[in-house]
Amino acid sequence: METSDMSMKTASKRRGLRYYFNIYFRIIAQDIKSKLSYRSDFIISLIGMILTDAVEILSFWLVFQNFPSVKGWNFYEMLFLYGFTLVASTPAQCMFDNNWNLRLVVYSGDFIKYCFRPVNLFFYFMSEIFDIKGVGKLFVGLSCIVYSWNKLALPVNFKSLVLLIFGFVFASLIVIAILNLASSACFFIMNSFFVLSLSNTLRGYARYPITIFSGALKFVFTFIAPIAFMAYYPSMAVLRPDNVPVLTWFTPVFGIVFFYISYKVWMKGALSYNGTGN
Amino acid sequence: MEPIIQVNNVTKEFKVLNRSEGLKGSIKDLFSHDYKIVRAVDNVSMDIGQGEIVGYLGPNGAGKSTTIKMMTGVLKPTSGSIICNGVVPYDKRTLNAQNIGVVFGQRSQLWWALPAIESFNILKDIYLVEDKDYKDMLELYSTLVDMDSIMHKPVRQMSLGQRTLCDILASFLHNPPVVFLDEPTIGLDVAMKAKIRELVKMLNKEKNTTVILTTHDMGDVDALCERIVIIDKGKKIYDNDIEHLTGLFGAYRTLSVSLSKNKEILTKEELEQMETSVSNLLREQWPDVDMPVSIEDNEIQILVNEAFTGVVKVINAVQDKYKVYDMHITEISTESVIRKIYDGSKIVK
Repeated sequence: METSDMSMKTASKRRGLRYYFNIYFRIIAQDIKSKLSYRSDFIISLIGMILTDAVEILSFWLVFQNFPSVKGWNFYEMLFLYGFTLVASTPAQCMFDNNWNLRLVVYSGDFIKYCFRPVNLFFYFMSEIFDIKGVGKLFVGLSCIVYSWNKLALPVNFKSLVLLIFGFVFASLIVIAILNLASSACFFIMNSFFVLSLSNTLRGYARYPITIFSGALKFVFTFIAPIAFMAYYPSMAVLRPDNVPVLTWFTPVFGIVFFYISYKVWMKGALSYNGTGN
Repeated sequence: MEPIIQVNNVTKEFKVLNRSEGLKGSIKDLFSHDYKIVRAVDNVSMDIGQGEIVGYLGPNGAGKSTTIKMMTGVLKPTSGSIICNGVVPYDKRTLNAQNIGVVFGQRSQLWWALPAIESFNILKDIYLVEDKDYKDMLELYSTLVDMDSIMHKPVRQMSLGQRTLCDILASFLHNPPVVFLDEPTIGLDVAMKAKIRELVKMLNKEKNTTVILTTHDMGDVDALCERIVIIDKGKKIYDNDIEHLTGLFGAYRTLSVSLSKNKEILTKEELEQMETSVSNLLREQWPDVDMPVSIEDNEIQILVNEAFTGVVKVINAVQDKYKVYDMHITEISTESVIRKIYDGSKIVK
């Protein structure tokens, strides 16, 4: 039939990255525009978010007033790790924040409305919300890193900057993957909020060097819930350039593989959920 | 002409855990493998042609939304096949989505915080609508509804009626060959219902769009559908045009007679007495025919099946015995026909 031939042609030419980028930026541009129109709401929650992170840093600092170092890690090195987790969490916070609403739309049955667009379901669902407040995390995180970098007198050169940026990219994939996995739990179990909050707690552990944990936890945090790749391993390339663990060079592999697994689980959950919905 | 949607012997089964009662039961269920198979859709077939408006009806839980989910590609049938615009929807969901529009009453698919026109602009990009087609479509829309009053308002601030209107416009925006409307008029006031029906009718006429409408509102069916398909307990029990449906029960006429000059002052006893005597009279005259007599609005109502007795004959018989002050004959409504079908749930061919 003529119509179907035509639509198939348009469908095959549209699948490119450019198409998705275009759609994404159009949606988030509108979203940001509408959010900024609630100026006080935006400013108050931005301040709240920065304060939350700042208070944590303060308590960090207080602890270190009494202990000069933890297992050979001084305050500035720990601050570096902390800043690293914040920066790595920024993409998840900004672009994948709708994961936090997934549970509610699945529960109410509204999730089905995402299934009728000629675009990738995961993409379409995530594109709905862009949380610009996540920029606060980026700001605080970068400040921590620059400050401790300075205090530790680490060399500023091309190599360490490149390693840092690559570290951010792949560590953020791990953060996103854990968030995706935790939120997709709602497709399989009824009351999934505890899984989401568990993922938050895990993210809290990511800011400690993996060496402080015991053997079993070390294994879990490296291979099962790989939070050690959220900050520790990628940071080591910059923090201890002479003593980089082998696993640091596997950060990209872990990032990509875990992200891919989380995407597949999410999609599988989404499509099987519809079977029993309504 | 080749049908635009072909549904061939589609069956959908769900595996459901047999739940035991009580707390002890639910703990037992955690480890139970005692599943039962529930057949939500049972061997349903239908062909739908381009430009048709089909009413897809059935009581709650009949399997309507399961069928719609399979046609839109969200669910895969257990057996049988569906082809929509030459595409198998559940194998190529995103490709199929380009060819369909979907509206769920009360579940807006537009961006909550954005004005409708911004949503439309994004949809234009998502569906890759050409600039010219888009402009023409908006022009057409502005001849059908008052666009200015709704287009620049955030969806969140709209009334339910305005939102539904926008959702329907959005679903036709990329000029899809097929649009699914799931209870589009639910919760709307009478004026808005009429407006929505008018809009759907115009768009269907203008663009020759196939519309598949599920609803519980017979007003929608009467206003829009030439053909209806009824399903109950997963099985298709009726598939034909709407005249044929009324024809099935159309031989029935309701005859209402007023046997008193001032019907308002009649007591219940008097009415019941009239009811019995009319009933007896009819039974005397036509001993083999069942003619249910009832009281409605202080009048005596007789349900006459014209296949057996003419209404006029009944009127004459009544008039011979009583003085008739007022009378009227009404055709049985679609609503009561459908209710009869749901109640009987018998297979009507």
